[in-house]
Amino acid sequence: MTVYRCEDSLEGIFTAIYLAYEEKRDHGDTYLSLNDEPMLFAEDVQVVPDWEKTRKVMNTLNCRFGEKDYLFLCMALAAEDDEKAQAVYRTVADGLKRKVNRGHIFDNLADDFVNKAFALATNTWREIDHLKGFVRFQELENGMLYSRIGPKNNILTFLMPHFADRLPIENFVMYDDRRGLFGIHPAGKQWVLYCGENERVPGDRTSNAGGLEGKLGKLKISEAELQYQELFREFCHAITIEGRRNAQLQRNMLPLRFREYMIEF
Amino acid sequence: MEYLVMGGEQPIMEKLKILTAAAKYDVACTSSGVGRKGNGQSMGNCVKSGICHSFAGDGRCISLLKILLTNECIFDCKYCQNRCSNDIPRATFTPEEICTLTMEFYRRNYIEGLFLSSGILQNPSFTMELIYRVIYLLRTKYRFNGYIHVKAIPGAAPELIQMAGYLADRMSVNLELPTAEGLRALAPNKHRKTILTPMRQIQNGIVENKNDLVLYRNAPRFVSGGQSTQVIIGATPENDYQILSVAESLYQKFALKRVFYSAFVNVNGDSTLPALPGGPPLLREHRLYQADWLLRFYGFRADELLDERRPFFNVMLDPKEDWAVRHLEQFPVEINRAPMEMLLRVPGVGVKSAQRIVAARRSANLSFADLKKIGVVLKRALYFITCNGRMMYPVKMEEDYIVRNLTHEKERVQFGSDGMSYRQMSLFDDGAFTRPLAEEEQLQAVVGQL
Ligand code: SF4
Repeated sequence: MTVYRCEDSLEGIFTAIYLAYEEKRDHGDTYLSLNDEPMLFAEDVQVVPDWEKTRKVMNTLNCRFGEKDYLFLCMALAAEDDEKAQAVYRTVADGLKRKVNRGHIFDNLADDFVNKAFALATNTWREIDHLKGFVRFQELENGMLYSRIGPKNNILTFLMPHFADRLPIENFVMYDDRRGLFGIHPAGKQWVLYCGENERVPGDRTSNAGGLEGKLGKLKISEAELQYQELFREFCHAITIEGRRNAQLQRNMLPLRFREYMIEF
Repeated sequence: MEYLVMGGEQPIMEKLKILTAAAKYDVACTSSGVGRKGNGQSMGNCVKSGICHSFAGDGRCISLLKILLTNECIFDCKYCQNRCSNDIPRATFTPEEICTLTMEFYRRNYIEGLFLSSGILQNPSFTMELIYRVIYLLRTKYRFNGYIHVKAIPGAAPELIQMAGYLADRMSVNLELPTAEGLRALAPNKHRKTILTPMRQIQNGIVENKNDLVLYRNAPRFVSGGQSTQVIIGATPENDYQILSVAESLYQKFALKRVFYSAFVNVNGDSTLPALPGGPPLLREHRLYQADWLLRFYGFRADELLDERRPFFNVMLDPKEDWAVRHLEQFPVEINRAPMEMLLRVPGVGVKSAQRIVAARRSANLSFADLKKIGVVLKRALYFITCNGRMMYPVKMEEDYIVRNLTHEKERVQFGSDGMSYRQMSLFDDGAFTRPLAEEEQLQAVVGQL
């Protein structure tokens, strides 16, 4: 058995998939691991993330399986799960082997790996869907909008395009406080992602955001901000029909973990 | 704290409280039906499947800034708290106030857009013109590109409705009560005909617009999210069969996108209206939403679900289970062979699971374990299906026995939600895998992650 040890990133996992094909491994006897847990009788291969190889895998997946399924594979990889790399790898291998049509990689739901990858992607999709609605921006003194999120899955990259399309004329920042990730959108420009201290722009790994985290912590909200928060709280209150009050239903629809980040609660 | 005062004498907070509370019984708070990308210049876009931004204490989705322009009204509908004979605090927004609230709420991501309705000020045309002015200002001066839903006021001049339709994503005219008799009894100033006229006008407008769009790709869009309506349930004596038949004919004859059902709440304590000591008829409303789903997505007809002799829904079983136990001669169906239309009629199998079954059985013979993985609710389906000729357990194909087993667990889904939340309940089945993604969006998403 061969074990590819890769870092938990799209680049790491896609590079490992590339290697598995390049080195002509038996896919039934190959494992993609995101940790260092030793495995008996296994040959360990350390994977060095490689942008060129990643790009090739991305292109192949996109062409062979179609955009929608390709994106769903990426969503599976954004999930918080130790087995996700293996599930996606074997789903891809299954799809390539059976030469499925575009848009049909997840048809074979009776297969355990396909099923797992599909479940992970669905879960991520659902959280993205939730957060598109539940994200709250606060206006800072300088007019910039700021939002803090704490998603279970690594979904900031999926949220940024949505809000960039929606609020093109705003300067806004989204901060994932569980991963120390920033999404930054300057008005009228392309958005970028920063990771902790390090700016991560595709193709450019050198620049530095320089303690952005600390700076944002000290920022003050604008004068009008509290008034609008109060107005919205009143709105939510006034829209409730007392005769139908149903806290359980409210909790099912809006799980408690989101409330910490929402100004109306 | 001092609140923003914008123009008017009443503080904005006061107005918002009054005009939100006055709008809360209108249930159609969804932002679905329109997919529109941002234009890079102004605020807003629309997402086809709609977005819920919050959930109120009653569990209903908050998607739009749902307010009345004014709660002044010259009419006297018995079921409505804004009726002219009620002595209540009144308020009226200025167009600027509504625009500012919409924009500021929108950029903070509180809402998907505006849902504007109104009491009748002076006369229907005057009111419609006010509504038009608000959304005109919002679309032009404020360059708002998000979702707008407005009411078409029955009796207003057709030109005004037409003009509003070119700015709005969705329009609705409330049918209010299921039958003309009900309307006559409770809303003396309203007539069935004045309600259906603008409905027909909007329907025709949408059809013409579709033709225009074929010829000129850049023709302005008219009510591209379609029109909806709302019916109050339980204020008048109509039975479920009548209500569902009305809904069916609205879908067929008026091409409505949605019919919403609103359990009656007796706000005025009016003695001519039912007192409803048990609270609003929520279970009934829930059953109607379920049946509505069956009409629109599962290929059922109203007269299959109910008829003159059984005009009310079963309290214990949902409408699909109810239909299935009365048609046991058509079951069990073989999962590996049954056509799509039949799979859709199996309790516990949703639209998405049916599609997945059809896709998955091409590469493998499906077992019960596979069905579970696919998302079929076996607990409910097992009485009605076979896998490779076998049932999951030996079951008697006998109505009483199955009904007893199906109703064993207490009411499974939580009702009390409106149509939107019902969509959410069946999210896995309704859109988890269907949302089309734009090319740029995917590219950015992926490049961004690296
Ligand atoms: S027209 Fe009737 S339902 Fe509408 S606000 Fe006036 S009284 Fe209420």
